[in-house]
Amino acid sequence: MIEFDQRISEQLSEVSLNSSIQVRVGTSNAFMVTASTILPLIEMFDMGGVYISASRGAVEIIEAFEEIGMPTERIHFIDLVSSGLLGGTETQYDNITFIDSPIMLESILLRTMYHMRTTPYERNFVILDSVNALAIYNEDRMLAEYLHTFINTFRQREVLTVIINVPDQTPPGVLANLDLYCTDLVDRGQVVIH
Amino acid sequence: MLPSTSYTRDRCVTGVHGLDEILRGGIPYGSTVLCSGTCGSGKTTLAMEFLVRGSMAGEACAHFTATEPSVKLLENIRQFQFFDMQLVDSGLINVFDMDVLYSWLGLTKATFELEDVHALIKAITDIVNTIGVTRLVIDSVTTLCYKIKSEQLIRDFLFTLGKKLATLGCTTILIAEITSATENAHWSSFGVEEAICDGILVMGDTERMGHLIRFLQVVKMRGSAHSRAKYALELTPLGVMLTPMLKWGSIGDKSSQWGM
Repeated sequence: MIEFDQRISEQLSEVSLNSSIQVRVGTSNAFMVTASTILPLIEMFDMGGVYISASRGAVEIIEAFEEIGMPTERIHFIDLVSSGLLGGTETQYDNITFIDSPIMLESILLRTMYHMRTTPYERNFVILDSVNALAIYNEDRMLAEYLHTFINTFRQREVLTVIINVPDQTPPGVLANLDLYCTDLVDRGQVVIH
Repeated sequence: MLPSTSYTRDRCVTGVHGLDEILRGGIPYGSTVLCSGTCGSGKTTLAMEFLVRGSMAGEACAHFTATEPSVKLLENIRQFQFFDMQLVDSGLINVFDMDVLYSWLGLTKATFELEDVHALIKAITDIVNTIGVTRLVIDSVTTLCYKIKSEQLIRDFLFTLGKKLATLGCTTILIAEITSATENAHWSSFGVEEAICDGILVMGDTERMGHLIRFLQVVKMRGSAHSRAKYALELTPLGVMLTPMLKWGSIGDKSSQWGM
């Protein structure tokens, strides 16, 4: 049984809708921290949202969430991984949009905005998972520019922005800019492995 | 020197997501706008959405189609949530096949002469006048102008048509097909369309690491201090959506790497 990090929900209860939260995770706790961030948004704050998955295919994420009892019907997934694998887009889930590649950054933004226009929920979040996965495909400077645009676009629309990154795998220039753009930090990036 | 008055022209609000912000409020009323783009860049969808948004506000709209039959056009556009067939059935959006119009006018020749061009202008303006059309799309002016052999005649046709439509208070989008939308490309097929029109929208694809990303750029819009930046375009079920294109996202731009 997974143990959710209660301190994250306590921290989230203090942020406003137009906040942008940088969630620093380690390679071993990424899933637990991500789940601990999403669960209170849905269950405590009655939010819906968009989950942009650049690190893994959306089906895999949905199945992992379902396994730990996390509700996924309020989340629309934008999958940047599966389409490039040819055949990865055949799925039973209708809450997934596939984008050809993580380099199509503007399309990701526009597709997210599209879902924000159609969402039935009054309060929404957008989760970008993750900056270091996007950094595999995109130049540092372009990625920094994109994060600047992305965060400001959703802050302006009062959509809570959650940016997940593994700090030691994120280019320093991008990380420095992320520190500057984000209003809040959930730092679970320093994991001591015994 | 700054203008002495703060006069601004009334705008035809396109209703297309992002476009009115780019145009600082919309297209100045009565303008003739050339919408040039490569195949698959979203010209027809954008133009159709322009008509749909107008018709939803109660405006009478007309679409002259020369590139595909109206049945096919409507079939393609029905997949979008923004489109409602009721708008066509109720007569707010009127779709005309150019081939049918040519037949009505007896224009069966392969190429048009001066009198044929005048007959065509009169037919279009009569339709606009009779229905009270305030938004018009001709898709495409390139296909139409292939029948007009002389550049001078094409120029006269577009100039006269634009002038007459403007006096009728009609805002017009002329769609032009181009083969390339890169920096060295022409904005029209015949090289004369852009000089006649009040505005030019260029649509095309930019390549990024093997992927094509649609873009839109407003090159010219008389009477408007518009943005001239490039915007990424996405065709969604709700219609066209635009966002600023990443400045560091151009192909082959080595300077996009920090420290270089």
